[in-house]
Amino acid sequence: MIRKTVTEVLEKGYSVVVVDDCSKDGSKKQLKGLPVYYLRHRINMGQGAALQTGIDFAKRKRAEYFVTFDADGQHDQNDIAGMVDLIQKEKSDIVFGSRFLPGSKTNVSGSRTFVLNVARYVNYLVSGILLSDAYNGLRLFDRKAAESIKLTENKMAHATQIQVLAAKHKLHYSEYANSIHYNEYTTGKGLRNWDGIKIFFEILLYKIFQ
Amino acid sequence: MTIIQIILTIGVALIAIYMYLRLRSSFFDVILIVLFFALGIFFVFFPESTTDIAHWVGVSRGADLLSYSGIMFLFFLILKLYSRLRRVEQKFTELVRNKSIEEAEELKKEN
Repeated sequence: MIRKTVTEVLEKGYSVVVVDDCSKDGSKKQLKGLPVYYLRHRINMGQGAALQTGIDFAKRKRAEYFVTFDADGQHDQNDIAGMVDLIQKEKSDIVFGSRFLPGSKTNVSGSRTFVLNVARYVNYLVSGILLSDAYNGLRLFDRKAAESIKLTENKMAHATQIQVLAAKHKLHYSEYANSIHYNEYTTGKGLRNWDGIKIFFEILLYKIFQ
Repeated sequence: MTIIQIILTIGVALIAIYMYLRLRSSFFDVILIVLFFALGIFFVFFPESTTDIAHWVGVSRGADLLSYSGIMFLFFLILKLYSRLRRVEQKFTELVRNKSIEEAEELKKEN
């Protein structure tokens, strides 16, 4: 799966940084022959930590724009160009992908829509920013946003922390209607609705100890 | 002397010795350890005195006062420990991250 995802992004001409968060499915072997930067966490640290590692590395490589892109094939590589257009047009620092804006193609389930609706209000209460979608893995940062965002939430609460930091650093943000396609692989690997409770407590602890 | 008093005395003494061996450093620490040791032993042999203190602060029994303050203290301890845990995790993440960036590989294109 990762090979397909990475290949599709590479075909669009972007540089790809793959952060392997200590996976056991031989990601590096699957990537053999693809021109990507490959980073591996020696110990499993969580998605938030992996994103930060990728961003830190891309900063060193003097990237201009930073896209966070899930490796499980749920995102569409064609959205990246649209997001870059949007960030330039609206002169924003950060673009959040959204599966609930008109124009978005997604096969998100009804129950997941409900959970995400609760989540976006939780994120609003914590950060003061109300997005149409919460926990959408597709985002675009410009240099300024990438400098301001330092994730310390290693696990799932990082999505909330990004909003908190965007508000704190007064970043201009836009939302982009991106496509999300859940396939069997995604639903097997990804979050279940019940994980929402777990994430809620992560956010609570983050809020208390930040 | 009842059995529980013997057990508690030994327990308090062991903790005091352990604390002394671990801290030993300053004169102030030793004073503090001796003070707590004396206080502990005092309450072991005159348990009724805790009831007087409880009455003084408005709690009916000494044992109740102990459980209230004990729960509060434990909760405080959990919070302290958790915040330390978060700091440790943060440093640990930094290490793993820096290592992975140092060891980053640029995979080569092959056909």
